[in-house]
Amino acid sequence: MTRKDKPLSPRLSIYHWHWGMVASIAHRASGVLLILCIPIYIWLLYGMTGSPQNFEHIVNILHSLWGRLGLWAASVAVVYHICNGIRFLCLDAGWGELQMMMRYSACMVLGMAGVSAVVFGVLLW
Amino acid sequence: MYGVGDGGRVCSCVWGVVMVKRVRDLGAAHSGFSDWYWQRLSAVLLLVLLPLALASLWAVYWGVLDQSAFLNGFHNFIFRLLHTLLAVALLVHAYMGLKVIIEDYVHTGFRVVCIALVLILMGGLGVCWLALIWAWGG
Repeated sequence: MTRKDKPLSPRLSIYHWHWGMVASIAHRASGVLLILCIPIYIWLLYGMTGSPQNFEHIVNILHSLWGRLGLWAASVAVVYHICNGIRFLCLDAGWGELQMMMRYSACMVLGMAGVSAVVFGVLLW
Repeated sequence: MYGVGDGGRVCSCVWGVVMVKRVRDLGAAHSGFSDWYWQRLSAVLLLVLLPLALASLWAVYWGVLDQSAFLNGFHNFIFRLLHTLLAVALLVHAYMGLKVIIEDYVHTGFRVVCIALVLILMGGLGVCWLALIWAWGG
């Protein structure tokens, strides 16, 4: 086996999909989404600390379709990443390590993200 | 014949063959525990600071926070300090997270280049963010 062919973790095409794996992959996906939001947040901050016209422009952008969509996606990603992050911290501390508990907690954080998505959607539209 | 290796490792040497009797608890890569520790420490900070940053955006969206109130907050030293903590914790956490993803999915020498690029990107964002908080925003 060459270095290039070495198996990598997580082996998405080999493992059976289960809720714990979905929660883990969603944690990474939400993390990457939030990293993409960092430059946008800095740009928004720059606009909000500028002239009153700049601030007005930023408020208008937040109220546009893309602005609301971005705010919705970032909010759902923050809620999910924090909930699953707390789950990971609990697992690090040795709480809920049983296989059944891990699956329940994974379903729970995914469910919370789903509920937050609906709530933020209702608040924005 | 026994000897203590670096980091308290106990080795036995029999006919020139070195066998490790007890593995080091925190791994032999020397950076694993440090990465884990910084990721968790930054995560705990972000648990408090990230919702505050998001709430401020929602407040601007709803019109609860106008520009004068926003700038008053920006002039506050505690606000700037908390914002600096947020920036540092977020960028450290982002770097650690991306590093783990790259190590998992990029399996050629390009991995080192990717990690270096992420480090440069996070450093650049950090400079912009901190300059905004402490220089431009004031």
